[in-house]
Amino acid sequence: MKYLQQAWLVLALALLFGASLAGVYVALADKIQANKLDETLRQIPALVEGASNGQATEVAGRTVYRALDAEGKQVGWVVPASGQGFADTIELLIGLDCQAGNIKGLYVLSQKETPGLGSKVTESRFLQGFAGKSTDSPLSVTKAASPGAGEILAVTGATVSSESVTQIVNKNITQLRSELASAAQLRP
Amino acid sequence: MEHLGSLILVAVGAALINNFVLHYFVGICPFIGVSRRLDTAFGMGCAVTFVISIAALLSWTFTYYVLRPGAPLTSAILGKDVDLSILNYIVYIFVIASSVQLVEMYVRKFFPSLYKSFGVYLPLITTNCAILFACLEIMKHVSGANPSEIWGLDKALVLAVFGGVGFTLAIVIMAGIRQELDLCDVPESLRGAGITLIVAGILAMAFMGFTGVDRNLKDAFSKNLNVPATPISSATGQPKELTYNVRQK
Amino acid sequence: MPTEGPTPLERFVRGILPENPVYRQLLGMCPTLAVTNGVAQALTMSGAVLFVLFCANIITSLIRGLLKPHLRILVFTLTIATFVTIADRILAAYVYSMSKELGPYIPLIIVNCIIICRCEVCASKQGPLTAGADAIGQSIGFALALLSLSIVRELLGTGALLTGTALELRVLPTNWPNWVVMVLPPGAFITLGLLLGLANWAASRLASLKNRPA
Repeated sequence: MKYLQQAWLVLALALLFGASLAGVYVALADKIQANKLDETLRQIPALVEGASNGQATEVAGRTVYRALDAEGKQVGWVVPASGQGFADTIELLIGLDCQAGNIKGLYVLSQKETPGLGSKVTESRFLQGFAGKSTDSPLSVTKAASPGAGEILAVTGATVSSESVTQIVNKNITQLRSELASAAQLRP
Repeated sequence: MEHLGSLILVAVGAALINNFVLHYFVGICPFIGVSRRLDTAFGMGCAVTFVISIAALLSWTFTYYVLRPGAPLTSAILGKDVDLSILNYIVYIFVIASSVQLVEMYVRKFFPSLYKSFGVYLPLITTNCAILFACLEIMKHVSGANPSEIWGLDKALVLAVFGGVGFTLAIVIMAGIRQELDLCDVPESLRGAGITLIVAGILAMAFMGFTGVDRNLKDAFSKNLNVPATPISSATGQPKELTYNVRQK
Repeated sequence: MPTEGPTPLERFVRGILPENPVYRQLLGMCPTLAVTNGVAQALTMSGAVLFVLFCANIITSLIRGLLKPHLRILVFTLTIATFVTIADRILAAYVYSMSKELGPYIPLIIVNCIIICRCEVCASKQGPLTAGADAIGQSIGFALALLSLSIVRELLGTGALLTGTALELRVLPTNWPNWVVMVLPPGAFITLGLLLGLANWAASRLASLKNRPA
């Protein structure tokens, strides 16, 4: 009985705090969920030209986004992709056209590469190299001043990070093209 | 083989590449406070590893079966999918406090001399950031991950145990260095915590050399990447650049 | 109940410099090293710690008469964990990108020695006004410590303050070769060690000046 008397304070506090936590959860859960989704949707207009918002769909178990224009017509795909970088995982958003035949844009969601060197893969100088590239054959990384049709100019001093980003793009596009084709989602 | 490879990656990552003390800055208080002598440092490292493993086991179980959105036990009891993840932190800290109590009772019964030498530091392990950090890492990979990438108990335990091993490694190295530093002429204002932090900075620089080790290990372990090799063409034709790029193509 | 111990004003003033949690008491080192790679992150962490410390101190002080000796750590821990969860959710809802960057260091406030120490030393023994003043004073001290470290690290590491926010302030010229090591772990350790030495030296000079015969 003595223990119950001493424990009643803890129990009362637990109830009080539990109730306040439940209140906080109810009040904020939707906002947090919207924040998580917004992270991706906010990038869609920049990744696929003409798109104003996106719609999430499931293709072969992974979430991809249709890029829609103002009238709701699909103008492309936005695919989240991730893979091993030099230091840790790199997360990307790849913008593709409707046929997944050309890359429209690239955006780095998160990376933990070396600051000042590998982190330069987030800069538009590097990412612009992907725009307009065809996805028919895998891309490669080069250090030549004028890259060819299937080549991306690497960031100076960050060859491994640049190569990692390219590999992630290659692997995910190959996967996506086969998944979309098999799901008969590709439209002219 | 691939699963074993991913376990080894997690182990190497937790112990060396992303060392808990020197990369994530957790467990600094005992790192500075208990690293004066080699034997106490090693004892503290072992105690922390022990507590971390028990805490990781319990917190993984709670997170996987009760707390995460769509957890099996809660859906079975309540009939629908409930997200109890708002109680995560409270559950973890209680798990940690109980683990420390458990270990304290065990050490007091079976190693009484060790218990006496630990003194007040054993209950203080409750406030060791490293243990809660291990639980939070496990939560990140169980609660907030895609269903196909949820960590099983084996990966969680490997992370915890080798995180503790990394902590022990760092604290023992620091103790060895500090025992030598005692014989040096350290400026008055830097004695104690100041010089320890500066030495820790140099240690952290040394451990940064492990970056990228897991990347090549991963390549070695994963079979059949299904990706055509991406050749790097160099316009100048030079044999090698001064980067870490020593993989064979 | 008569007020034992320092007055609210004394608690407030002491917490800022004389009993600074980082430089004098050597508590709360983990977030000090981890979140000081940018001034924005440091300010967000200070705000979170202020919220948690203030609420935890007030609640502990209100129930201090009911605390049994062997249950008090449990009660402190429960209170702190609840407020940290609330702070974490508020940050995730209103400043999502900053919350993602601070990552696991917000929940690590639960085991931050500063808060448990203040609950133990002050809030469990004195009234709500004193406890609140103590909380605010210690939080300001903590914020000063974080700011001092983050200004040095961000300035030398990127040449600008508050990078990435709307208030970015370019201080050093653009051709400053960023000392990247400053935003990495080694820079954190070394900078804190040197600043700690500086603080110790300043404190000992102040003490010797006070003790000098007039």
